[in-house]
Amino acid sequence: MTKFRMIPFALFNAFTNMALDDAIMEFVRKGISKPTIRFYGWDPSAVSIGVFQGIRNEVNLESTRKAGVDVVRRLTGGGAVYHDLTGEVTYSLIAPLDLFPTNIIESYRTICGDIVYALKQLGIDSMFTPINDILVNDQKISGNAQTRRNGILLQHGTILYRVDVEKMFTYLNVSDQKITDKLIKSVQKRVTSVVDLTNASMDDLQKALIMGFKRNREVEFGDYSDLEIQRAQEIIKDRFNNEIWTYRL
Amino acid sequence: MKTNSITRKFGKMLRLDVIYSEKIESLKITGDFFLHPEETLDQISEELTGVAVPIQKELLFRKIKYIMDSNEAEMIGITLEDILNTLDEATQ
Repeated sequence: MTKFRMIPFALFNAFTNMALDDAIMEFVRKGISKPTIRFYGWDPSAVSIGVFQGIRNEVNLESTRKAGVDVVRRLTGGGAVYHDLTGEVTYSLIAPLDLFPTNIIESYRTICGDIVYALKQLGIDSMFTPINDILVNDQKISGNAQTRRNGILLQHGTILYRVDVEKMFTYLNVSDQKITDKLIKSVQKRVTSVVDLTNASMDDLQKALIMGFKRNREVEFGDYSDLEIQRAQEIIKDRFNNEIWTYRL
Repeated sequence: MKTNSITRKFGKMLRLDVIYSEKIESLKITGDFFLHPEETLDQISEELTGVAVPIQKELLFRKIKYIMDSNEAEMIGITLEDILNTLDEATQ
């Protein structure tokens, strides 16, 4: 069985988070790093947008700038996400593609199954709902996104611990609609979080996620290598904190 | 020269920002869909830029399908037909 490295929860800024994924993908492909599952948060809070999204369409850049909220374009598709410093746990799984189903939806189902299991440990019954969401009674608790390049799969996603829809709308643009109380209530009905459903702490959520991702894999706990951190710094400059990438210039 | 921006919800969102006259002068395809490998989208945009308006959907479908097949690309949340139908609508 392939051994995975599991890296416990730590906070990084948005650029470092995305660059670490990129660097680890590179080193897993080269056989230097083991397949990796990492857990992390966002400090400062940040907005990430999908690789194909128009930044000005999706993000209120004036609000993010004033609040010191970072904005980063991901490697993966999917939608814009507000990552609150205290509101979520994010994970990335980076591994050779041949360890997962070739069919993209089936590979989402496999990895999201670990999150569904983790939430079950907290007493939350959830369900993977294609394409890339995990729902609790039709309310979204986790969004996930995947890319595949050079034989390596990256899937990352968020598990909402606490959600503040009003705050989210401060930073995200809502197409063709005014931000009204009605809209906020409508979104609140479509989104849920761990604290809405249980008394679990953030630490409980992190422990449950470790259980979920460990259940079908051989894992050893580890940390980022110096090489990965050094490479991530280069990638930050070249890509994630670079206007050409961020604004798709 | 005319400009149009059109957003349509399929499985995922698709937005086209198009500048056109007798042909497509500029096209930006954005949205929250997935496409692996991601670089394929640039090739699709290039293929659609410069084509005559009104667009010939069947011909363009074959050309874009060739690009997709050559890249072993997979699109999730929208389809090639969605892109072409939306482009056709945007340039009416």
